Amino acid sequence: MIITQDLSKHYREVVALDGLYLEIHPGEIFGLLGPNGAGKTTTIKILTTLARPTRGRAFLQDYDVVRQPLPVKRLIGVCPQEINLDKELTAYENLWIYGRLYRLPDLHKRIKELLDFGDLSDRASHLVKNFSGGMQRRLLILRALMSRPQVLFLDEPTVGLDPQVRRQLWSLIQQLKMEGITIVLTTHYIEEAEMLCDRVGILNRGRLIALDTPAALVARLGGYVVEAMHNGKREYHLVKDKAEAYSCAQTENCEVIIRKVNLEDVFIQLTGERLSR
Amino acid sequence: MNWFPIFYREILLFQRRLLRLGYVVSALFAPLLYLLAFGLGLGKRVAIPGTSYLDYLLPGLIAMSSMTNAYTWVANGLTVGRLHFRTFQVYVQAPVTATAIVVGELLAGVARGLFASLIILVLGLLLGSRLQLNLMFVLALILNCALFAALGVIVGMRSRSHEDTATFTNFLIMPMAFFCGTFFPVNEMPWLVQVIINCLPLTHTNHLLRFPAWTLADLGSLLVLTAYGLFCIVLGIIIIRRYSE
Repeated sequence: MIITQDLSKHYREVVALDGLYLEIHPGEIFGLLGPNGAGKTTTIKILTTLARPTRGRAFLQDYDVVRQPLPVKRLIGVCPQEINLDKELTAYENLWIYGRLYRLPDLHKRIKELLDFGDLSDRASHLVKNFSGGMQRRLLILRALMSRPQVLFLDEPTVGLDPQVRRQLWSLIQQLKMEGITIVLTTHYIEEAEMLCDRVGILNRGRLIALDTPAALVARLGGYVVEAMHNGKREYHLVKDKAEAYSCAQTENCEVIIRKVNLEDVFIQLTGERLSR
Repeated sequence: MNWFPIFYREILLFQRRLLRLGYVVSALFAPLLYLLAFGLGLGKRVAIPGTSYLDYLLPGLIAMSSMTNAYTWVANGLTVGRLHFRTFQVYVQAPVTATAIVVGELLAGVARGLFASLIILVLGLLLGSRLQLNLMFVLALILNCALFAALGVIVGMRSRSHEDTATFTNFLIMPMAFFCGTFFPVNEMPWLVQVIINCLPLTHTNHLLRFPAWTLADLGSLLVLTAYGLFCIVLGIIIIRRYSE
């Protein structure tokens, strides 16, 4: 569905993306995980024709993203990190204008269908500026779905939302996967990547440092982590199973936490840094 | 060419802002002030051969308002939409061409410029002006709006901040508003200044709005405006086509 070859983007001396090789399969939810500045948004910008790569190529269903942008644009829906809706316009008007950009037939029917799907029907004629953050985010996803895209790009879809709204959006994203849409999402929330993604690519400083299913990535490290606090500094011990975790905990003369390994531990192991740096 | 949704969006936003009284007043305050202060106050002491000062001033103010409104709407809209609200990026990621984006923005700028012109025109007529309107007048006015809306596309796309747009306005739009024959005849200026002023598009709009006829000189001015307009449109299309973040 999506292939990138040596994809790179430099902003003068800053290397935002460095030699990305990636293959994203049809129908999967693929997550790009990494801290701020890792190259996640740059990757999305290139794949959605908003930025041109400095080096390398990217293909979406055999269409070259740089040389054949128009057919690529017809296949994709984009939900950017920032809420770039027209807040002075109503929800209906926002969707109508977007639908007209794609020359969609039966626009009224499609808008109604989507507003029903996103549970925003009763808000169709309300100005977007009066919507809550969660509603605006939902409308943004609905707008990206207007053209019935085959690939949906979600750049940090739940950033800044409270946990309850975040879970609502997760269920919406899972519904979209059931409809067969390929989803590429970026996130720096571990739970989000683990909950939603079939496969995860971990980016750090513009480079892809790991790529696998969340379970396989976690399994590389073992089963459990013992966290111990020594003189204000947190130490991590990776262990195979619960029994080993208990015996490790007994050797510590401070308070310890025993928990399952997660993707953040994978990231720390690979880079020596935390995801939220 | 799918320009309509882009145009329609701008018109909807314009319509919403029109409902805010403060917005309308601030947009039209300067030309109205000039009309009242210069037209009614200073105008009684200024003699323009063959016409009253109000009749001389009104076409100049219409040209100036159409220029500033068409230009400012497009330039500010694109700068803020691209850098702050990031609504411009929606167009880039949608299957619309750079030409459609420029045409949509340009037509919205024309609509805005014509709206401002109409208000000044009505007020001038109410104040007793005997301005002559004909096809050449309308054509020149539309061309003026289109030309400066296209210039707004270029500035809006190249500005790296809101201050950049303001700088460009201060160094090009404001001097044109004052020196291109809006308030006083160009032929009273020093020779070299006249040469420079005659190269600027607003001078030709002012000429066409004051003496709207089908003479050779008028057709020449029309040609100059068209050439400037086409140049700005083509440049705007190239800039948007090459847009990359």
